[in-house]
Amino acid sequence: METDDARLSGRRDQGLVSGVAVIVLMGVLLGLSYNWFGLRAARKWGLPWIGEDKFAAFSAEPAIGLPAAEPTPPPDRHFTNNSDPFAITGDADTGRTGELPEIPDSGRPVPIELGAFERYVDAGAALILDARDPEEYREGHVPGALNLTYDQAATDPVALENLDTGGRPIIVYCGGGECEVSLRLAHELIGSGFTRVAVYLGGFPEWQAANRPIAKGE
Amino acid sequence: MPRFVVVAARIGIGVLLAWAGLAKIGDPQSFADQVHNFRILPVALENLAAMILPWIELTAAMALIVGVRSRAGAVLATVLLAVFTVAVLSAMARGLDIECGCFGKGDATRVGWAKVGQNLAMLALAAVGSLRARASAR
Repeated sequence: METDDARLSGRRDQGLVSGVAVIVLMGVLLGLSYNWFGLRAARKWGLPWIGEDKFAAFSAEPAIGLPAAEPTPPPDRHFTNNSDPFAITGDADTGRTGELPEIPDSGRPVPIELGAFERYVDAGAALILDARDPEEYREGHVPGALNLTYDQAATDPVALENLDTGGRPIIVYCGGGECEVSLRLAHELIGSGFTRVAVYLGGFPEWQAANRPIAKGE
Repeated sequence: MPRFVVVAARIGIGVLLAWAGLAKIGDPQSFADQVHNFRILPVALENLAAMILPWIELTAAMALIVGVRSRAGAVLATVLLAVFTVAVLSAMARGLDIECGCFGKGDATRVGWAKVGQNLAMLALAAVGSLRARASAR
């Protein structure tokens, strides 16, 4: 009697495992084929199969159409990235007295270089955000910059939405070089509905090295 | 556990799962974004999870509602809800203030204790549904 029961329940548990497997497999197949149709639809709504890191924009890769990068010689100004064709280069084309180079309404962060960045700072024509840690910010920052770390922005979207730019574009910077929090912060800003966002990739080290004015404290 | 309790629990959790699954199936991109907000999966796998998860919820829900392989559906629902609860707790522990995404884009509930409570209630329902239904009350 008992052995029969045990055998019976054993068989039932096997049925349970195969049942779960069948359901999961059906779900996987349905999900994949549904997305497959989504990718083939006239107005495509399917997702790319492999998720993309949205933060990897304008990384070290050369822009499309450029020859493949040779092994780059050790650059002497490691913090500047000139590979982006849309980079705002500043005074070269507009001249120091002309109008400010425009930060386009492109829905993605645009790199901005020292010359143009400096003119925005001088004119107070952009909201400058320092994405570094509060400690580093206290030790020295670009005059007029507000401190907003990526972590603060990521964990408190409401504060982000309430950010008052006064109709100005936003320029974000951090520690230059390997520092990517400014880029991440810029993507958070875009995600919160701000459209004109630039990233000063040189960051504080370049600013400092160029002997530009530095503010200290809170 | 009397049969009708187990069956009622299965149908109840089935309806909730179907609702949750369908809400997410309608807008894969925003569900993928919500998955990203949890920052649990590697970025490369987030889209696959967003494609597949709602459909697993939906097939489990169908099994529960229709009554085919319904105990397997209930066990799967229990596992899914346990995983979701852990995900919510881990997001809270890391101080993330994000939308749960549990019931798709229309559900703007933020991750927090209310969500954990809701998940635990559904988990309990699914656990009851996972019990063996006794053929007749003795």
